[in-house]
Amino acid sequence: MPELYLRFLNRILTPVLLLLSLYLLLRGHNLPGGGFIAGLMAAAAFQLQILSRGHDRVRRTIGPYLNSGIGLGLAIAICSGIVGLLDGFFFKGVWFSLNLPLLGYLKIGTPVIFDLGVFLVVVSVATSYLLGLSRVSDAAALLRRDTDSPVPPDSPASVLWDANVETGPGADS
Amino acid sequence: MTSLLLAVAVGSLFASGTYLIMRRGQIKLILGLALLSHGVNLLLFGSGRLTEGRPPIFLDKTGYAETIELNLPADPLPQALILTAIVISFGITAFVIVLVNRRHTVTQTDYVHGEFVPLLREGDPFDFSESTEIDQHDWLAYEVDEVYDNDELLTGSPSFPPSEQDESTAMEEDQYKWP
Amino acid sequence: MAMSANLLAVPVAAPLLTAALILLFARWGGRTLIRHQIALTTLALCINLVVAVLLFRAAAGQGQRFVLQLGDWSAPFGITVYGDGLSTTLLLLTALVALAVYPFAVATIDYHRARMGFHPLYLFLLMGVNGAFLAGDLFNLYVFFEVLLMASFVLLTIGAQPAQTNSGIRYVVLNLLASTVFLVAAGIAYGTLGTLNFAQIAERLPLASPAVRTVFAGLLLVGFGSKAAIFPLFFWLPASYHTPPPAVTALFGGLLTKVGVYTLFRSFTLFFPELLLSWQPTLLTIAGATMLVGALGALAQPGIRRVLSFHIISHVGFMLMGLAVALSGNSLAVGFGLGAAIIYLCHHMIIKTALIMAGGAVELYMGSDRLASIGGLVSRQPLLAFLFFMAAISLAGVPPFSGFVSKLSLLQITLDTRHWVVAGVSVFASLLTMMNMMRLWRESFWGDYSRPSRIPSRILQSRARQQLMLTPVALLVLLSLALGILGEPAFRLSMQVAQQALDRQAYIEAVSPSSQVSALQIHSHTFEVETVSTTRP
Repeated sequence: MPELYLRFLNRILTPVLLLLSLYLLLRGHNLPGGGFIAGLMAAAAFQLQILSRGHDRVRRTIGPYLNSGIGLGLAIAICSGIVGLLDGFFFKGVWFSLNLPLLGYLKIGTPVIFDLGVFLVVVSVATSYLLGLSRVSDAAALLRRDTDSPVPPDSPASVLWDANVETGPGADS
Repeated sequence: MTSLLLAVAVGSLFASGTYLIMRRGQIKLILGLALLSHGVNLLLFGSGRLTEGRPPIFLDKTGYAETIELNLPADPLPQALILTAIVISFGITAFVIVLVNRRHTVTQTDYVHGEFVPLLREGDPFDFSESTEIDQHDWLAYEVDEVYDNDELLTGSPSFPPSEQDESTAMEEDQYKWP
Repeated sequence: MAMSANLLAVPVAAPLLTAALILLFARWGGRTLIRHQIALTTLALCINLVVAVLLFRAAAGQGQRFVLQLGDWSAPFGITVYGDGLSTTLLLLTALVALAVYPFAVATIDYHRARMGFHPLYLFLLMGVNGAFLAGDLFNLYVFFEVLLMASFVLLTIGAQPAQTNSGIRYVVLNLLASTVFLVAAGIAYGTLGTLNFAQIAERLPLASPAVRTVFAGLLLVGFGSKAAIFPLFFWLPASYHTPPPAVTALFGGLLTKVGVYTLFRSFTLFFPELLLSWQPTLLTIAGATMLVGALGALAQPGIRRVLSFHIISHVGFMLMGLAVALSGNSLAVGFGLGAAIIYLCHHMIIKTALIMAGGAVELYMGSDRLASIGGLVSRQPLLAFLFFMAAISLAGVPPFSGFVSKLSLLQITLDTRHWVVAGVSVFASLLTMMNMMRLWRESFWGDYSRPSRIPSRILQSRARQQLMLTPVALLVLLSLALGILGEPAFRLSMQVAQQALDRQAYIEAVSPSSQVSALQIHSHTFEVETVSTTRP
């Protein structure tokens, strides 16, 4: 059972971390920040959830969306490059200016969208890796407790494989 | 002075990383790989020439040329390279940790076996008639017939809902419709 | 009408986008999930092939050079994507190999592995390989190397059987070391030359001190060489290639080491053509040792795929020999060696893939690939026996096939340039190859039919799957035959490609057409900024 203070901190810190990651994502074009760092920040929020609530519950909540998150992020990143194709070059930055009623003048462009894609990929990859690793360590502990003798080679206890860890984050950034 | 310090740091990181990789333990292997990637990142950092207190990006575009003429700006590229290298090494370290963990659970050992042990056996090295010996030496030996398409061996693999199990057997027996 | 350079983005973007779509909808696929994944992947592979053919026709046929500056940022500041004859040739072959292995993979990959993301990983691997062929600067080459490595790690260990994890660790560690060495080379290039762009490195390297050149070349040789599995650095290959499913081995055997070979070709012809001459003894020694060790190692191996993976090493030695003699002929024959090496590379990619697929089919029918425990398959599978035989003699270099043309041209240039020893070694290695191939064929197809130790998988009892498995092998063997019969025009084409690759000045001009960017000049080992004018949009 997770500690009380962890559960308490979780309630305060998770929204703060998520907001902070959003902030980092949006300021990343000219100032320190950007998709990768923001993604790691958001993944840290999910890790806090895993620590405080147990990986099973977190997996049930967000687990099914992780692969889709990777796919969506990659697709967004590539599509932001294809938008540049309209201007003649692949990945050329295209900028729009929006005049929003409340926020005022907003300049948005394909690099920001690319960063959004990177953010999604990093969040999903990092979270699925953390989930996979927590499950692996759980299963390993279980196995050690159950059996004293080494596992015979012809009966691999293969509870452990998590296919989510695989996409190359090298593809972005 | 700083660059000397950097060189010493890079060198010692490489040395300890290499030493750790040479050991036969898997945890040492992971640590060694991490140290090596840190060493390379530091080397990339040093490749951009250490300049202190200079901005890499000029927000004031009017004074752009004058500032550059007066003093060398900091090089903004190495940090981008290092960031990319960090992303990549993060992904790979994650993968290696999961792989090592998986292997550790299966084999209950931290020891990395050699591959060519069976080749060093005595007698005629080209006599493969009694190839069971190979299995004895390398007990993780390759067994293709067990490796793939044998469902029973994948005991602990995530169980699919019944509908998908149907599909799995359909693929096996080829009632499956190919596109 | 010049084709748009934007086409260069397709071989990277199309597989990536398709893989992204597959991952995106992986959750909602339901019953027809895998079927849709297969359809999408096939579509991406076909698009890739079409684009590769277009690029190849323009670049290798008409001598065009494609340069895409991503996002319209000019050369040293932006990302350069570059395609000339050499890279588009490899692009075309990669597309062919990927498309040919795919039906085999569809027929033999089981449902669990497909669920774990085999199909998107296949596309990620293709994307990494294509990107490495097209990269125009050192760092993006590194990134694409890592992308393809990451995909190959997972493809190698997907399913996570004990043997796979065991070999996966060796593969991962040795390849990571190679990447580290390569990254150090990139760091040194940036520190001493102030650039990572291929064209600018080629421009500035002659001005750099010999120490820098030697260190840089040595690091690149070690980094790329261990990707290509040259002599002292090949241990990751035979330790791992026999453990994944045969489809994965066929893909790896066709593509992965060739990326290392391509980068060796590219870096040595572009950066250090003079080192190609002064290092010739070293390179020839490495090449000879690689050939010999590969062939001899194959002789001592007990299983089909182990033999074939040692032969990959041996054949990398042949290509390296072609590179080593590339510049040493008289002025007319400059590039002859490289041309021969390129045609050898084509032959090898085609036929090695076919052979590994045929070997994998044998393995699936017999339940094992250990030569001692199989045999007599010729009566049950005459077509497979025929195809395996054809592929084997093509690999060994028997006349009507492509192996003969490529080996003959390599041997000819090596003899012309009076490198008797390495020529002798290559002949000896070819003989060993022949012997090994005959051993493989005899042990697996002749003799009494030995009942499989285990019941062969139910996968193979359907006719459709057998056809899916054998058709690509047959097509690749036919392709090899065509390459052998059309040896003359193919060789002329590959000579053209080699000449184009050896023309450094044209590369530099193609990548940085204006002198806007010659802002940084080297003074001994530090550089000063004089004027910087970017084409900032």
